Amino acid sequence: MTIAAEDEMPVGKRRSSLLRSPQFSSLVILIVLLAVFAIADANFLSPLNISNMMAFLPELGIIALGMTLLLTAGEFDLSVGAVFGLAPVVVMLLVQNGEASIGVALLAGLLLCVAIGAINGLIVTKIGISSFLVTLSMLLVVRGAALYITQGFPLKSWDQPGFFVTLLAGSFNIGSFRFYTSLWWFIGLSLLAIYVLRYAKLGNWISAIGSNRNAAVARGVPADAVKVWLFILTSVLAGLAGMISAFRISAASPVAGTGYELEVIAMVVVGGTALTGGRGTILGTIVGALMLRAIRNGIVLIGVPGLAYNIFVGVIILAMLILHALLQKNAARG
Amino acid sequence: MEVLRLQNLQKSFGSVRALKNASFALNEGEVVALLGDNGAGKSTLIKAISGVFPVDRGDIYVRGEKVSIRSTRDAMDLGIETIHQDTSLAPDLSIARNLFLGREPVKLKWLGVFAPLDLAKLRGAASALLKRVGISKKLDADALVSTLSGGERQSIAISRAMQFAAKVIILDEPTNNLGVEETHGVLRFVKEVRDAGHSVLLITHNIHHVFQVADRIIVMRRGEIVAEQTVADTDLLTVESIITGADMSALLKETRAK
Ligand SMILES: Nc1ncnc2c1ncn2[C@@H]1O[C@H](COP(=O)(O)OP(=O)(O)O)[C@@H](O)[C@H]1O
Ligand SMILES: [Mg+2]
Repeated sequence: MTIAAEDEMPVGKRRSSLLRSPQFSSLVILIVLLAVFAIADANFLSPLNISNMMAFLPELGIIALGMTLLLTAGEFDLSVGAVFGLAPVVVMLLVQNGEASIGVALLAGLLLCVAIGAINGLIVTKIGISSFLVTLSMLLVVRGAALYITQGFPLKSWDQPGFFVTLLAGSFNIGSFRFYTSLWWFIGLSLLAIYVLRYAKLGNWISAIGSNRNAAVARGVPADAVKVWLFILTSVLAGLAGMISAFRISAASPVAGTGYELEVIAMVVVGGTALTGGRGTILGTIVGALMLRAIRNGIVLIGVPGLAYNIFVGVIILAMLILHALLQKNAARG
Repeated sequence: MEVLRLQNLQKSFGSVRALKNASFALNEGEVVALLGDNGAGKSTLIKAISGVFPVDRGDIYVRGEKVSIRSTRDAMDLGIETIHQDTSLAPDLSIARNLFLGREPVKLKWLGVFAPLDLAKLRGAASALLKRVGISKKLDADALVSTLSGGERQSIAISRAMQFAAKVIILDEPTNNLGVEETHGVLRFVKEVRDAGHSVLLITHNIHHVFQVADRIIVMRRGEIVAEQTVADTDLLTVESIITGADMSALLKETRAK
């Protein structure tokens, strides 16, 4: 194996390594998918449909950002869907029982997410139980709590206009497109996550921990603390996404977000982040989030029966993962 | 001049007494080989020195001053760099990022862990370092460690220890799983490191390597240091018999008689 020294590295080589990167192949497939849907149904690119997709995209996308960082550090969180459901339910109960103003209730909801994330992280790192088992149990606890405190009934959400509603779920029009402020949240948080993972010292630590935890620890990287904070971040983002969603539809349901954990993990790995840790890409996750959104939306438009959705979604995810695996093998050989 | 002294170090894992009463000193600019069978306590000893876990009892002195090493960071700050068995590098990171892992050059330092890496400096320093240790011809600082061979990885790990001007460099079985060519590369590297003024503690169970690079030999058996000799005063057979615990005195007499 020979690798040219940096100043001798041919430009073509850099370009070909970009072309082989997982986020790039995901992007190509996204474009192909969009083209197929656009050709199959002219409504796919209509302002209404694009606005619709952009309304849903940030809610799972925001969680996927946290999940990407967590997966890169070698852990994952199955409790995000349950937290997505519980956080807004708690906020609305506090407000409706007159125990807190909306602002204070939102803060309390986010603090609850901090606590859930911290418990996940501490059990995983200090007691050493796998994140699969810990967060699976947490999923049951959190979802159970949401059902119990609401007795299973959805709550009417805060629907009076105000600062917080605008902040989380306000909407605005650009031409005939209608966008929600949640899109700004998603864009802003994405930029932050890209910065942290690629350019900040913390990102170097996150990748190193997922790649070889012992090596990172031996260099003085506080691996456990980083992981705990990433669990907290993921939980808080899931809660925030839940609140955004509840405000947008003016209802907080205790079963909201059911199954989101798997959809979010699918977005992340379809984008090219390694499930085994060490290799994460936020750009890939954004592509993955767009892709799953487009698939869900597109297959409805082209007339796939509702009950058959998941067959298609599953097959496309599987195809993506096989593609990544093949590319990875190729790169290792080349 | 003495750089590192260990006095009566003890460490147990449950009922296993991995270190019973280990004492020795390491001088400036020498390579000391730490020998012993599997399970003798070599890794435990160096993990105690490098801050992986605390000892139960005993003192560590660096340049004559008593120190307490409670974390890997403490050891690094004292100038003790350790290259552990198989666990030194993160394969998914580039060479440059590995070289500076845990001590990344950053801009806007006040941002703490969110501070941006100084990528130009990172790459520049990495290239300069690779050049200095004579491997820049082959390796690009941006290459992922996962694309390197075992010998190249060891060289990278050793260069990393050198770059922070470590007083003491500890190598735990650095030639395990390496080919003949790569092993020679690493041993040559160890000599260069010593000639540059660093002290090296080399853990191995290959006695031949020891006689190629070491100045002094320390042998451990069942958590204790059972022999300490300069290489010039001993030979392969003697050392082998000490390691395995065969009757030393008889063997010694035998070899002397020859
Ligand atoms: N983390 C640990 N927990 C329990 N026992 C250990 C641990 N590390 C080492 N030991 C035990 O301590 C003894 C010395 O091990 P070690 O220092 O790894 O030996 P060496 O490196 O010389 O082969 C062995 O009996 C080993 O089983
Ligand atoms: Mg060992």
